[in-house]
Amino acid sequence: MSAPAQAPATRRRSRSRTWIGWSFILPNFLGFAALTLIPVIASLALSFLDWDSYSTPRWVGLDNFERMIHNDNFWTALRNTAYYAVGHVPLTLAAALGFAVLLNQKLKGVRFFRTALFFPYITSLVAVAVVWNMLLSPDLGPVNQFLRAIGIDNPPGWTTSTTWAMPAVIVASVWRDLGYYMILYLAGLQTIPAELYEAAEVDGATGWQRFRYITLPGLRPTTFFVLIMLTISSFKVFDLIQVMTEGGPGRATLVLSQVIYREGIVQGRFGYSSAVSMVLFVIVLTITIVQFRLQKRNET
Amino acid sequence: MTASVRRALAYVLLVGLSVAVLVPFAWMVSSSLKLDAEVFSVPVRWIPVEFHWSNFVTIWERVPLLTYLRNSVFLSVTITALQVLTGSFAAYGFAKVRFPGRDVLFLAYIGTIAVPWQAYMVPQYVIMEKAGLVNTHLSLILLQAFSAFGVFLMRQYYLTIPDELSEAARLDGLSEYGIWARIILPLSKPALASLALLTFVNTWNDYMGPFIYLTDNKLWTIQLGLRSFVGLYDAEYAMIMTGSVLSVLPILVIFLLGQKYFVRGIATSGLK
Amino acid sequence: MRRHLVTTLAGAAALALLTACGGSSPEPAADGPQTIKIALWNYATTPEFKAIIDGFQAANPEIKVEPVDILADDYAEKVTTMLAGGDTTDVLTMKNVIDYSRFGTRGQLLPLTDEAAKLDPAKYSGLKAYDLEGKYFALPYRQDFWVLYYNKTMLKEAGVPESKLQNLTWADYAALAKSLTKGDGANKQYGAYQHTWRSIVQATSAAQTGGNLLGGDYNFMKDQYAMTLGLQQSGVLLPWATASSQKVSYNTMFSTSKAALLPMGTWYAATLLADTKSGKTKVEWGVAPLPQLKADGKVTTFGSPTAFAVNKKSKHSEAAKKFVEWASSEAGATAVAKAGVTPSLQSQQILDTYFALPGVPNGDVAKKAFKPDNVVLEMPVSDKSSDVDQILTEQHELIMTGQKSLDDGLAEMSKRVKNEVG
Repeated sequence: MSAPAQAPATRRRSRSRTWIGWSFILPNFLGFAALTLIPVIASLALSFLDWDSYSTPRWVGLDNFERMIHNDNFWTALRNTAYYAVGHVPLTLAAALGFAVLLNQKLKGVRFFRTALFFPYITSLVAVAVVWNMLLSPDLGPVNQFLRAIGIDNPPGWTTSTTWAMPAVIVASVWRDLGYYMILYLAGLQTIPAELYEAAEVDGATGWQRFRYITLPGLRPTTFFVLIMLTISSFKVFDLIQVMTEGGPGRATLVLSQVIYREGIVQGRFGYSSAVSMVLFVIVLTITIVQFRLQKRNET
Repeated sequence: MTASVRRALAYVLLVGLSVAVLVPFAWMVSSSLKLDAEVFSVPVRWIPVEFHWSNFVTIWERVPLLTYLRNSVFLSVTITALQVLTGSFAAYGFAKVRFPGRDVLFLAYIGTIAVPWQAYMVPQYVIMEKAGLVNTHLSLILLQAFSAFGVFLMRQYYLTIPDELSEAARLDGLSEYGIWARIILPLSKPALASLALLTFVNTWNDYMGPFIYLTDNKLWTIQLGLRSFVGLYDAEYAMIMTGSVLSVLPILVIFLLGQKYFVRGIATSGLK
Repeated sequence: MRRHLVTTLAGAAALALLTACGGSSPEPAADGPQTIKIALWNYATTPEFKAIIDGFQAANPEIKVEPVDILADDYAEKVTTMLAGGDTTDVLTMKNVIDYSRFGTRGQLLPLTDEAAKLDPAKYSGLKAYDLEGKYFALPYRQDFWVLYYNKTMLKEAGVPESKLQNLTWADYAALAKSLTKGDGANKQYGAYQHTWRSIVQATSAAQTGGNLLGGDYNFMKDQYAMTLGLQQSGVLLPWATASSQKVSYNTMFSTSKAALLPMGTWYAATLLADTKSGKTKVEWGVAPLPQLKADGKVTTFGSPTAFAVNKKSKHSEAAKKFVEWASSEAGATAVAKAGVTPSLQSQQILDTYFALPGVPNGDVAKKAFKPDNVVLEMPVSDKSSDVDQILTEQHELIMTGQKSLDDGLAEMSKRVKNEVG
């Protein structure tokens, strides 16, 4: 605590700090490194190899990437994934934030609403797919019956139309994920000291001003987390699309994870599949680093 | 006056949305009380003609549901406990201790989240098989208990806790571990609760992990059991929905119990 | 002191992990009465597996067979992962020929070329499909092919004699389906139901016109598509878009008398037999040959075999080989036929066993249906098969939903196969 001999003490302190830091991280890191980090690195390394999951891998350099650049499926999937992310991320973020703020109030029945909004996330995916497809069914679905009733003669075919399948999937996914991110926001809201709001109220701040100048800044670390998790999960989206459209009709909702899945585990071209994951990895990491930097700049 | 109008509007919005959100669940419950042939009637019948509560009895005879539930509970509880413990511990290192290489290590954590599981499940399986852990619950525990998700979530939360608090404790002679245990942990109950809830739900609902790693029927989880039931008797929709409803109930209980931890509710209402 | 705390924590965590669960199942000892494991799917609802295992154990009491039940939907994924990890499950069921060729060419299966040479290719429908450059790695025990199921009651109501179905052309089929369609809304009865799979249009035309599904020129499918789209347009078929988005089950459509005619594989007969026996369905059903292009009395259909193979890593390969051989033998085929499933070995004796089962339709029409003159492999085997399959499926969706006109859809199909796989 006191520092008579400057230089060695600082060095000692920095060394002991490194040790302390690692000691916190280590219990988690051991499990993480052995079973996640190493397999991930191995799978990324596979992108320079030709491997069928069994025979000895063969070094092929950039061949997998070259094949990818000339592959129509890859570009279609990349475009679709970006489309999905651009729709899914802002909508889910706004909805989750809005409902978290609303449901953090003392309202009657608020416990019920919070539980209700979390339900889509825990409802079985099979039921979700069945109900959404039923609601959006082109001929008999209630949505299109309603649209016809208000005078729209040719309502969209939703999951059976190449134009409307992706919007339908995005709406279903926002609906499903909203409660999940709402929970994170609710936890984040608890860190904002109530005194700040009380002081603002004394100063006569409006509801919007309180939201803008107290809630939003207070939620910044949570928003950073939600934004990164949302970005990553929308670039990795798989389950919901698999049960709703299986990438169809045609390739209208084909996304990168499906390409990775089909090429790898189904077709046994693990090198190529890893090359696609590598692209996904680089895209997401770039976005994350940019967001990381922006957050750091905001902090200082 | 405007306040009561706003309050009324908020209620209309919330009620409308809750209805929209609960429709698939309502369909699930209503189907679980029907006969198989009635499930897909056109137009949709929301209230069954006759309530077949017997579905909820029969399913226990058709499927070893108790075994599956026990396995699911064991896995979810163990994984959640380990994830919360090691995740919050590691997060302290990332959020409150400055040391060289920390940010790179953190990026490595986030980087792994960015790689889809489909891409590395085979290398991971090879490691597990070499360790002789395939077809054990331990394999799934090791796989899911140390995920980067928990570390990341807790780190973000710790960042919002002012450093002055730990500085003061340090002056009082508390070690870093003491600060974590006595100052930071109690303050982060809301985040711990939400991490626990989300981890529990994800483990509970996981299908692909148990499918790849568990072969022995005695080790199966509820999701695996349900999916295999769907595969075997794909026309028994009512029974499938009965199983789905039963599998959601434990999560519902946990959610209701945990709610008070991640939402204390702000004393002053923004809608006043 | 700190160090001490950390080691204690880490140690405690590790200990907790190890004691928390001791569910590991040790490898069974290699000596003593041998136990072989066999990877299969849906054991409870796939009766021929139990029939084969029981029959084999009765014939070889020194070998015990243990099924490893895997979900059918993700069977290939699980087996791929298991084999990559060096799993030693002795016998592997080859669900389809394309997966087989992948496992075989990777060297994950034990060669069975000598055993295959003992089988008469004339009697074993589908044996040729397992020829990988002169080598065999699996022996077929089951062969499915496509037939036309019909609802006897609906036919009678319309005054159509069943014998008319013995020599149906696709044009007859379309006309008949039209005449059988009636009703509206919830009471609508469709003349026919064609499931969403691409093979019902594509594999049919490939088999009957001699077109090549891997060839890159798909104009041979045009007539079959035109007929199907026409039927869909005139309300004789449930629209493809509805069937696909509502995940309609062909079993529900047929067994609840929603559709009168159903082109489908022979596996469906086993389901119908079981459901009729258990009282789950009351539909009166018959089986006719798949409709043809010309009414010349010859029946050409398509289908695919199922086979058993031996894992190269198996520790009981001799016993496993014995099992695979038994399953494809006369005794195995009889057991399969008795379970209501069509075996790969086709002799008059086996057919008689099949037709003697209670509930199996056995009039002249059915006898002709179960003895087709030619069964073409549903999808030719090559390293391009799965890529082409994906493209054909995607284009099929676009054509059937009307997102692409027939001509555009077929042209794009040809173009994509040439560019992306070629």
